[in-house]
Amino acid sequence: MILDSTLLCKMTTDTPSTVYFPLESVKIIGESIGIQSVSDEVAKEVSEDITFRLKNILQDATKFMNHGKRKKLSVLDFDQALQIKNIEPLYGITSKEHIPFRFASGGGRELHFIEDKEIEIAHWLAIEGVQPSIPENPPPISKNLQKKESVDPAAKLSTQIDKRDEKHIHGRGMKSIETVKVKQLATHELSAEQQLYYKEITEACVGSDEPKRGEALHSLAFDPGLHQMVPRLCTFIAEGVRVNVVQKNLALLIYLMRMAKALLDNQTLYLEKYLHEIVPSVMSCIVSRQLCLKPDMDNHWALRDFAARLISQICKNYNTTTNCLQTRITRVFSRCLNADKTHLSSMYGAIAGLSELGPEVSKALVLPKLRSLSEKIEQCLESTSTFEKNAVSHIKGLLLKNVAPILKLLRNPPDLVQDYKNEYGYLGSHLQIAVVKARQATSSTTTSISSAASAPLKAIAPPTRIIQHAPSVSQRTFVVNKPAAAAGQAQLGQKVIIMTSKPASNQSSPSVVSTSSPLTVSVAQATQKYVVVSAPNQPQIKQEIKEEPMDTSMMSPQQGLDIL
Amino acid sequence: MSDTPTYASLTPLAPAIPTIINGLSGVDMQPSQTVSHHAVMNNSEQVVNQVSMVNNGANGQCPSTAMSLTVLSPAAPATPSSLTSEVKSESAEPPSFERSNLIAVLQFLKKNNLKGTEDLLRRESGFFDEIEDSKSGYGLESETSTIFSTYKNEGDPTEYEETYLNLLNFIERSLDSYKHEVSQVLYPVFVHMYLELVYNGHENMAIAFLERFSPQQEDYYQEDILSLSLVTTRDHMSGYQIMDNFRGSQFNVRITREGHAHLKRYLSEAGGGPVQRIIQNRLCFDIYDGVPRTRSQIVSTAGALEGEASRQVNKTKIFYGLLKEPELQNLIIEEDEGEEEGDKPKKKKHKKDPLQKSKKNDPNAPPNNRIPLPELRDIDKLEKAKAIRDAMKRVTLSKDNLPSICFYTFLNSNASLTSVEFSDDSSLLAFGTSDSFVCIQSITPAKLKALKSVEQLNDIDKDADDVLVRMMDERSAEQTKQLLGHSGPVYSCSFSPDRTLLLTAGKDGTIRLWSLQTWTCLVVYKGHIFPVWDVKFCQLGYYFASGSHDRTARLWATDHHQPLRIFSGHFSDVDVVQFHPNCNYIASGSSDRSIRLWDIQNGNCVRILTGHKGLINVLIFSPCGRYLSSAGSDHRVLVWDLSNGSLVAELISHTNSIYCLSFSRDGNLLVSVVWINV
Repeated sequence: MILDSTLLCKMTTDTPSTVYFPLESVKIIGESIGIQSVSDEVAKEVSEDITFRLKNILQDATKFMNHGKRKKLSVLDFDQALQIKNIEPLYGITSKEHIPFRFASGGGRELHFIEDKEIEIAHWLAIEGVQPSIPENPPPISKNLQKKESVDPAAKLSTQIDKRDEKHIHGRGMKSIETVKVKQLATHELSAEQQLYYKEITEACVGSDEPKRGEALHSLAFDPGLHQMVPRLCTFIAEGVRVNVVQKNLALLIYLMRMAKALLDNQTLYLEKYLHEIVPSVMSCIVSRQLCLKPDMDNHWALRDFAARLISQICKNYNTTTNCLQTRITRVFSRCLNADKTHLSSMYGAIAGLSELGPEVSKALVLPKLRSLSEKIEQCLESTSTFEKNAVSHIKGLLLKNVAPILKLLRNPPDLVQDYKNEYGYLGSHLQIAVVKARQATSSTTTSISSAASAPLKAIAPPTRIIQHAPSVSQRTFVVNKPAAAAGQAQLGQKVIIMTSKPASNQSSPSVVSTSSPLTVSVAQATQKYVVVSAPNQPQIKQEIKEEPMDTSMMSPQQGLDIL
Repeated sequence: MSDTPTYASLTPLAPAIPTIINGLSGVDMQPSQTVSHHAVMNNSEQVVNQVSMVNNGANGQCPSTAMSLTVLSPAAPATPSSLTSEVKSESAEPPSFERSNLIAVLQFLKKNNLKGTEDLLRRESGFFDEIEDSKSGYGLESETSTIFSTYKNEGDPTEYEETYLNLLNFIERSLDSYKHEVSQVLYPVFVHMYLELVYNGHENMAIAFLERFSPQQEDYYQEDILSLSLVTTRDHMSGYQIMDNFRGSQFNVRITREGHAHLKRYLSEAGGGPVQRIIQNRLCFDIYDGVPRTRSQIVSTAGALEGEASRQVNKTKIFYGLLKEPELQNLIIEEDEGEEEGDKPKKKKHKKDPLQKSKKNDPNAPPNNRIPLPELRDIDKLEKAKAIRDAMKRVTLSKDNLPSICFYTFLNSNASLTSVEFSDDSSLLAFGTSDSFVCIQSITPAKLKALKSVEQLNDIDKDADDVLVRMMDERSAEQTKQLLGHSGPVYSCSFSPDRTLLLTAGKDGTIRLWSLQTWTCLVVYKGHIFPVWDVKFCQLGYYFASGSHDRTARLWATDHHQPLRIFSGHFSDVDVVQFHPNCNYIASGSSDRSIRLWDIQNGNCVRILTGHKGLINVLIFSPCGRYLSSAGSDHRVLVWDLSNGSLVAELISHTNSIYCLSFSRDGNLLVSVVWINV
């Protein structure tokens, strides 16, 4: 390898008559077979002879090129020229196009070599929920490393880390960043074990079995080594939210938010790279106009509160000066609050979100609006709609709860009802009571993030009525992002995530199938359930998939499942 | 379909195979004779290899290098002996030249312990005493030294540059009329001076010499100079192809008597030195009386590895006329009446024309029995009659009346397509690929069918009118059939005229004959041991020719597994072969940039056509048989008149390698195809 490349390099730069085989190469090759310190004279002799023979062979090779009616000399031509000289050719060096020589230098040496790519063989296996540290298993990447990688992709190229780690990151991180940029094609494969895990977890998280869900969420929140599946889980959440917001399935939205929470809680994961999927999902659960089928009865307020706490957690963990996460989220909320015709549900969500972002945010954005809010509340309380009454009472409660502590700090003790009323309108009196109460209970906390984080999940679990209700609404088979149907917006170039279960035998467990149009799904092996492949945007494929994805994706993985 | 062609009645050319090689007796003779004959043969590895095998048989010991034997033959190849002697007398070649060959052969024999052959050769040569003496003079150095001993000289290496410069100056000062023809010696002198320097170990001076004077040489020699520049030590000199050529041959220079005298005068004035020595030993002057040629005249025929073809070699009379057509008149009229009853008499009259023409006795046509030709079967006659009828309907093509062209495109061939061939009636297309496939594609709606099995064939009513149709198995009908057998790129395909056979040749050195009725391989012809670049069926079938990397062209018959003739004389690969329309001659084009025409009857080289400046990719005879058109990597199409071997046209508008040439059937148009970068 070294021979050809150096020669080629020289040939491109020098005139033909002065092309020679570099002495450096002779020395390096000598070293590679154990001959140390080849002297210059010897190297020169050898180089001359090699040059002569190589050119001689090349002359013959051009004959084969010519008779092959080509103008480009191929490796095969060279092999054939060797053959007619009765020399065994070097087998295995074939190249349709150019030979991908890599260049490396160091210690004053310059080398050209063909890169032998290491083939990544994933062997992920968890025993009792714990990933064993066997050589086959890639060691879990520390959170710091993941963070570093996502914040500064270039940094890790320079850092000297363990080779295995490097390869690992290359496989997961850089590959997806770099090659996706270069071309549309990128294959993401999970090992069979990971696929099984993914399936079990997603099924349990959105299933009806509450203890199982608890286990699954616990696994998501505490198991290490999930980073390889994070992109898929995030996509699952994002797709799930997208569909269920449209379908107004409160239960599933809650389950998905709990999954998001679990992922956020996992100390070994760094989710910055996937915020583009998580944040919109969570935001949808906060400010969407309608999140359930019966907005006047169902407790979607709890979901909004929970999601608002999530968003504040995300902001706290992942806000950086480069992504301006908090600024952008805040802007969304305040725009929502300032808009004239904001739906009451959305308004509630926006206030909840802003409140959760901390007293400073509330002070800056909620307080100035307090008066106009008061008017709206007052107005709506007199309306005939039960929903509106219900909604403003929730908003009122929320405001009292969140603004009172701020006002307590802002205003000085003589809390006069009239002052409050003048300043805040209808809410003034209520606020005054709340502030007075707050001053009395000195130990009471501002509604803080810590309380949100420790809030038990069960607390916001919807009433059982809804859980029973949900299965009857749909059969729990969802096609996400079906073109122009459910989500309404087909996104090109998106990965396909398929989740299936045995349809007949296990009716209670839901199956979520999410596909997006320009992608194909193929079954690789019997043991491997499915491989997700993204394909170039071709209209033909798009149409095929519209018609057929269920067949290929549902049936074939099934067989694999049965074997597993 | 039987496995052998149906020309059962034909007797082969001669009982022994191969019978004649360039006028020498065959290689299947006794070892001693073989060796002695090959001593005067030129460098063909193939022949040498056969010698080696003979040697093997003698003592079971393999000769160390086959190449060493190839270098035994410095005599100009294929030059008729009469001419050689004539030339010799003019160029004052020392007789010791011949002797050194014998010495080399004897050394080889001695080395391989071939006592019997050695004795025989000594007896035959008649001057073995001298050899005995002179041997000590040559010493028992390495083989290279013996072979190249002519390069050995004790001259002062520093004088080389000076004397060459003097020569340059002399030519510069010469009268314009002589200047160009004398300047022909510059290149060969340059080459041999360089080689002498290298041989005598003055490497640095050799390189300096090359660098100083190579820009002065003609453009078309630069490629050779480049490969020559690789040779920088004595070790490189053996076994290197271009070396073999320079060393093994003399460079032909055509010059007027006055020009030659002019040069001689200069040489005698200059007094000895390397230039004179080289001109005496290495150059072969073809002296003629007349007007000196102009520069463009000289350039038009220069460029070949061996210099210019001497005029003598192209003086042999050749029969370039077409063969007398068989009696087809009855057949045609019969058919005609059967098909188009009561047709207009005008048309009939027109139809007779080509037949009448062929009836005329062409003085340039070879007698039909000059070489044994395959007998025409009824089906062939029908085919011919059909072709003639077609020809009658033909519109005469001209500059103003150009034909339309149909293009076929191979998709996804990935640069693996190495050869394409259409059958004569444009019903079939054969192509070979670099991954050893041969494919036949029907380009008419008719499907390709295979014969039925033997049992089924027995059941067929043999008297039925449509027996030929019934013989075919409908179930096997396909648009494309694939033939597998080669083990390397397939460089050439050729259909037999009746489209029942296909010849293919490839890198594996074999030629394969395929039946297009059973779709199987019938014969594997193993004669060439190096890649076979080209194979062509004769227009009448039965015979075929091949050209190979082993520098030979060969003539074969389908029912012989060994070649009938080995045409050896080219100095480099034979890249292309072509049958003359009358089947009496084969033209071969080579990487040595020359074209040779070989007489099938006696194996002689009857024409050497030089003028190409690059290797020759394609040769085509005009339908009338008088002209030969050639083209190659020098981007030029040359048209030669075979009657005297002169260049009649040079078509130079192409800017890339030409890979295909074709005459229109009436011979009015010539089409050429170049390589396009896609």
